[in-house]
Amino acid sequence: MKRDKTKWIQEVVARYERPLCQYAFRLTGNYESARDAVQDVFLKLWRAKVLEDERTAPWLFRVCRNRCIDMLRKDKPMQTLTDAQAAAVPAPGRSPAEETSLHESASLLLRKLAELPANQAEVIRLKFQQQMSYREIAAVTSLSETNVGYLIHVGIQTLRRQTAQS
Amino acid sequence: MKPIDEIQLTAYALGELSAAERAEIEDRLQSDPAARAAVEEIRALAAQLETELKNAPDISLTDDQRRRVLQPPAPTDGRLVRFSWRRATGFAAVAAAVTLVFGGVLWQASRNLLQNRFAKLCETSEPAISCEIVQTDSQTLDELLVPAELPDLVDAVAPPDLDLEMTAPPEIQDFCPAPVMDSVTELNLASDAISPIVMKGLAPGQMANRSGAGRTASLRCYGGSWAPHPCAVPPENAESYAPIQGNAFKQVANEPLSTFSIDVDTASYANIRRFLRAGQMPPPDAVRIEEMVNYFPYDYAPPQDDVPFAVHVESAACPWNPAHALVKIGLKGKELAADARPPCNLVFLLDVSGSMDCDNKLPLVKKAIQLLARQLTARDRVSIAVYAGAAGLVLPATPASELATIEAAIEHLQAGGSTAGGEGIRLAYDEARKTFLPDGNNRVVLCTDGDFNVGITDSEELAGFIAERAQQGIFLTVLGFGMGNLKDDRLETLADKGNGNYAYVDSFSEARKTLAEQAAGTLFAIAKDVKLQIEFNPAHVSAYRLIGYENRLLAKEDFNDDRKDAGELGAGHVVTAFYELVPVGAESTPGVDPLKYQSREEPPAPPANANPEWLTVKLRYKLPKANQSAKIEVPFVGGAAAFENASADFRFAAGVAAAGLMLRGDPSVLDLDYADAIAWTSGAVGADPGGYRREFLDLLRNAAALAPRPTDAPVPAP
Repeated sequence: MKRDKTKWIQEVVARYERPLCQYAFRLTGNYESARDAVQDVFLKLWRAKVLEDERTAPWLFRVCRNRCIDMLRKDKPMQTLTDAQAAAVPAPGRSPAEETSLHESASLLLRKLAELPANQAEVIRLKFQQQMSYREIAAVTSLSETNVGYLIHVGIQTLRRQTAQS
Repeated sequence: MKPIDEIQLTAYALGELSAAERAEIEDRLQSDPAARAAVEEIRALAAQLETELKNAPDISLTDDQRRRVLQPPAPTDGRLVRFSWRRATGFAAVAAAVTLVFGGVLWQASRNLLQNRFAKLCETSEPAISCEIVQTDSQTLDELLVPAELPDLVDAVAPPDLDLEMTAPPEIQDFCPAPVMDSVTELNLASDAISPIVMKGLAPGQMANRSGAGRTASLRCYGGSWAPHPCAVPPENAESYAPIQGNAFKQVANEPLSTFSIDVDTASYANIRRFLRAGQMPPPDAVRIEEMVNYFPYDYAPPQDDVPFAVHVESAACPWNPAHALVKIGLKGKELAADARPPCNLVFLLDVSGSMDCDNKLPLVKKAIQLLARQLTARDRVSIAVYAGAAGLVLPATPASELATIEAAIEHLQAGGSTAGGEGIRLAYDEARKTFLPDGNNRVVLCTDGDFNVGITDSEELAGFIAERAQQGIFLTVLGFGMGNLKDDRLETLADKGNGNYAYVDSFSEARKTLAEQAAGTLFAIAKDVKLQIEFNPAHVSAYRLIGYENRLLAKEDFNDDRKDAGELGAGHVVTAFYELVPVGAESTPGVDPLKYQSREEPPAPPANANPEWLTVKLRYKLPKANQSAKIEVPFVGGAAAFENASADFRFAAGVAAAGLMLRGDPSVLDLDYADAIAWTSGAVGADPGGYRREFLDLLRNAAALAPRPTDAPVPAP
């Protein structure tokens, strides 16, 4: 049993390390915080049950998301943030390299994506970067599936319009 | 044709629709070139996004971090969850801040219960509230989040009277010995005067409200419960009851017809008994008088001929208002001999979540099923499905003659895991359908302590699902176990929708009564959609009221409408209803002013040749497999017998009804006390084979001792 868990965790880490780091980076805007958050997420695996494959990703992303929002809150004591606000507020002390990565200046599409409202950009990333279904995204973000569908739709409409113009 | 919904179209382009929805969109796309082009564009954009997002900056853990996460962490101590609430000032307007502190030792005791979806709350709204979670060790409750259970965060309806306890001083308060924390809570305080708030046993979807003296607090709990240890006696407000408004008197001149559905449930009585035994008055809304009256067996003669039941009507002076008459209508279902009853296909759906891990829950469920299984024969099939963290089948359909197999499966059941269920109810119904007996009694028997969270979380959807299956011939029996978390109103609704019955099992003797002595009634419906309509004769009766059955009332047109669902009657079941009548010539109707615009002369004395009948009982029912109803009419010529001369069943049942009215705080019985009900019933106990009536007297003595009003008369000894 113990062995199985070790093996499972190795697999999970190998598979989700980078996707989670990317996601956490988007939420915190800061490499170091992102890594810390992901480390915390993986450490929790040791106390979690071995999950079936299809439940693993939503669990990881959800825990990661909560961890990031927690970290942002702690940076700003006495200030209350909704999740969306938290996701939108960049952490202080970003390096130029981080600044650059954050804006993904290489591509018009990704630049426009970064300009979308935070909640739309987040669900679009989960959908297209992590290949999650609406249902999984709903589980990660605590939004309803309908709401996820709406946010993705609106985000995509905006991106279509903006990329078609140029 | 209306244009395709754009959000739906995006979902279609991204492959998010079900097969049926997809087919519908594809159909529409045939004739909509613009929409087809949009789909193409969305897909192209999606592909581009996927490609470009792959090239996003590559971030990974440091080698050091990776090494750390791949090593099992050192074991940590158990923990205690503590909550403290403190006020804070500063950020925006008047702010109340809520701090949750976690440290210490919770785990072992109720780890099973600690489950899913504890997430952060912290919604800020006007007025501002902040809520932060402070961790005193590295572990958060995030790990308890199990994604499959997340989507069912339900924001349900507020119960009427949930209470927030407000106490001082504000600093950390231990919440309860082993609190359960599986909730997302949202606090919304509008006060500058609230110090700490201790949540008392909030249950899923409940919302607490308190207002008064210019302050209000509301607290919502999503999908979990803040509850004390499952075996502890809870604050009553963890339980939810639908409000009941007692029936008022109706003028016969205006409403000569009274229509209602029968109810054979008895759960309310067992629940009241639990309260009274614990030395508490039950909340008035927990008292359903018809369920109290119907709890007791009455000695009604069974039907002689082919009809499924016999109707017995009796009248006497109303004990709590001698100017009124009391009419008792009793139905007795046909008894079924063991070999005459249809074969059974029973699927037990058991809640084995951690909260069931108390002596009066899962162990009692096991005993109850064993009792029942022993009533069955080789023709019958038993399956057992369980739900907790995941739903599963622990016993596929097994002939009841293989008692050892069944008992072994029962023995191996263990409580554990979170309550949130997978597809428990679907699984049970699917299993019932697989082994469907066309001529048999197909039934799902749900055993739960109330957190009914078995895969379909929307109450409406669940009720619809159960009603649909009932139409297909699979009925539902609900057995409620334990205490403290009982979702009485929900369970009753479910049983009703499932053409079934609902019983509350709080002890082994109750299990015996429901599942052994009255197994036939619990399991075999002999008639469904049983409705009663009483027509009163204005020559004799000026007004009436139905005692109890408040949530079973039907419109008069529903009586002949075979589509209207109504109650089931089981083999040998007895159903009793009381009407309190105001005879013509008695004082005016209580609570109703005389009509101003309808000149109504003094009621004439009934002409000598008038029809002597007081009323006619009309009964509609369907046989279990029938779609068309049949009707029975029983006229009744009343008489004003003295209460003392009425039958023992009449006197006992009337005393139970009176006690029910008192427990509900009905204004018509304010001058009564429990000693009166004891006096009326104590002489009517009779042979009392199961000891139920004697037990009731004992409960009445408890009620008398607990009642706030002064009792002048000494309580008679048994």
